Amino acid sequence: MARKTSSVALNERLGPYQKLYLLLVAGFILGPFIPLIIQSFAFRWAWPDLLPGTWWLEQREKSILPLAWDYVISPYSQVWEATLNTIYIGCVVTVICLIICLPAARVLARERFKGKPAFEFFLSMPLIVPEAAIGIALLMIFIHIGLAGSYTGIIIVHLIPTIPYMIRMLTAVYQGLGRDFEEQAMILGASRWQILRLVTLPMLLPGVVAGALFTFLVSTNIFLLTFFMGQGKIVTLPTLLFSKISGGTLDASAAGITLVVTVPGIILLLITERFIKEEAFGKGFGN
Amino acid sequence: MRKTLLSLSVIGSLMAGTALAQDATAFRDGFVAGDVSWEDVQTRAKEEGEINLYYWGGSDKINIWMDSVAVPALAAEGVKLNPVRITGTKDAVDLVLAEKGAGKGLGEGSVDAIWVNGENFATLKRQDALLGAFADKLPNSVNIEWNPEDPRALLNLRDFGVETNASEMPWSGQQYVCAVNTARVSGDAPSTFDGMMSYLEANPGKFTYVKPPHFIGNTFVQAAMYAHNPDGNGAVPFQASIGEMGAAELARLITPGFEYLKALEPHLLGAGGTARYPEDPKALDGLFLNGEIDFSCQFGLYGVATGLRDGTYPEGAEQFVFPEGNMIKNKNYLVIPGNAPNPAAAMVMANYMASVDSQATKLEIAGMPPGIDPWRLSAEDSAKLDAASPGLVGVTQADLDANTAPDTNATLVDVIEATWLEYIERDSSESIEAIVANAVANLK
Repeated sequence: MARKTSSVALNERLGPYQKLYLLLVAGFILGPFIPLIIQSFAFRWAWPDLLPGTWWLEQREKSILPLAWDYVISPYSQVWEATLNTIYIGCVVTVICLIICLPAARVLARERFKGKPAFEFFLSMPLIVPEAAIGIALLMIFIHIGLAGSYTGIIIVHLIPTIPYMIRMLTAVYQGLGRDFEEQAMILGASRWQILRLVTLPMLLPGVVAGALFTFLVSTNIFLLTFFMGQGKIVTLPTLLFSKISGGTLDASAAGITLVVTVPGIILLLITERFIKEEAFGKGFGN
Repeated sequence: MRKTLLSLSVIGSLMAGTALAQDATAFRDGFVAGDVSWEDVQTRAKEEGEINLYYWGGSDKINIWMDSVAVPALAAEGVKLNPVRITGTKDAVDLVLAEKGAGKGLGEGSVDAIWVNGENFATLKRQDALLGAFADKLPNSVNIEWNPEDPRALLNLRDFGVETNASEMPWSGQQYVCAVNTARVSGDAPSTFDGMMSYLEANPGKFTYVKPPHFIGNTFVQAAMYAHNPDGNGAVPFQASIGEMGAAELARLITPGFEYLKALEPHLLGAGGTARYPEDPKALDGLFLNGEIDFSCQFGLYGVATGLRDGTYPEGAEQFVFPEGNMIKNKNYLVIPGNAPNPAAAMVMANYMASVDSQATKLEIAGMPPGIDPWRLSAEDSAKLDAASPGLVGVTQADLDANTAPDTNATLVDVIEATWLEYIERDSSESIEAIVANAVANLK
């Protein structure tokens, strides 16, 4: 009941232009998905037909090969393999990134040292230098040392663009935390380990989770570096999608794969919305 | 865990590298000299355990055949086939050359075999990155005509005019065939370049071809060069290399062809504005399906049949003869690079690919025409291939055979491609002689 009144109120509060604006925003976000969904169920969809002339389900029995969604969910599409690889790489990258960034962020947030601004700028360099430049140069080195085409190689290159983001987020969290709580625990006789486990980490947790989710999301979206280092042997969702749609035409199976590729991002977004938003961004960045 | 194992295996392979390389080199030399029995190859292949085949992965049909037929068949021979799907064959060639540049020799690289033809093979050969003459020593190579006295063996002995020396195995034979959308074109489709011009004058913008340097676009340009050859002998002079022919002679031969393409350009897709050339065959298929163009030309004897089967071709699609007498025919191959990590497994794979069973299933499922030669087969095997064929649509095999032309020498392809980019795409005001001379100079 209360919800209904509030929605009515919102409806009344908004002017016609504001409503139009909201509609346009929704259209821009959701619009591109509509032809994708239709295409993924089409057998033959040619201009100028508004809807596919022949649907996949009509042809399903006649075809000797899996079509459309049958292809997408079959092992031939490599969707499952790519999803597992993407998640595996994303998780390892996130954990390593945290291990590297937590101590670094602590120092950056709390200590003053000579050349700190220059160092901070240096840390942001990977965000400025084009990925292609890093990728080509690293590929030559990795081929020499035998890391090209391996998970280790991909994980290492994924750390390059993720570390700067993670450091920035964690530094902000540490700055918001203050030293007082830890000092208080120390005065009350807690050991360093107890302080870390019982005081620092719980207070950092929302920020850490937000940073980890963000890192994971960045890692799962890296195309170029993965493409260089994976050498086609290690397939992730972005490289799979690229090889499927690089022709510039979208057939039913390509549309299906495109839809599948958006799923991890949407799931993470929902998690973030639901559990993290208030907590992390409120505590972590609010102060 | 997986990561630790991987890094351990990396360290392990670095240490074992040198010994392995010497061993692999001895094996290769023995095999190429004909001293290694096939049983020994099979035993060694099982020890190597796997083989990485790099191929263009843009076709669902080929991917399905590879995963559902080839992988289990090789697993039965004790070899794990890793089909690596790539977007451009050149990527795999570059990888081989990069690894070669980094000092990785036989047994140490990462590419065991690549699906190639034409320029990519010529590049590997020029860079001395081939394993050697393996293809005519495989047991199933009896299915392939190697006798140089038989004119039909030419497609096995020369790849775009470059001698293969059995360092690649013919995998599939293709012909450049055009399709017409009969739902949009009433009457006969044009069968000559002049006929195409008149059709486009009446129906502006209803045709285009794939943009060179994609080989499908290069092939259209080559057919135009043959048809406009001022000496009237079509493909004949284009079999020589640029070294034998010389820049001035090539310029003379291709000038009328390029003038035709220049005159054709304003009538192509996008007529009135800038001509639009699709980047690859998939984009071309999209234009054809949507009726933006009435004709679509690419390699694909069974392209229309399989396209109708999976909905990528419009319902009225049929094949037709164009250009008369100059429908380029060639083969594509599986090559083993000189730094293949698993040379014996690669040979077992190539041998499987040359078998009648694999060729027949590949034809049926992927629509890829056989690369083995039917006259070398028993009547039974030959019938098996015929039965697997998805079939021609609107033309007969006799029509196609009567209009066949060979492809162009790979060294000329480079120059013709560069000339197209300069003369047509960049709209250079220089004469064709100057452009060709320039392109030839840049080759070296």
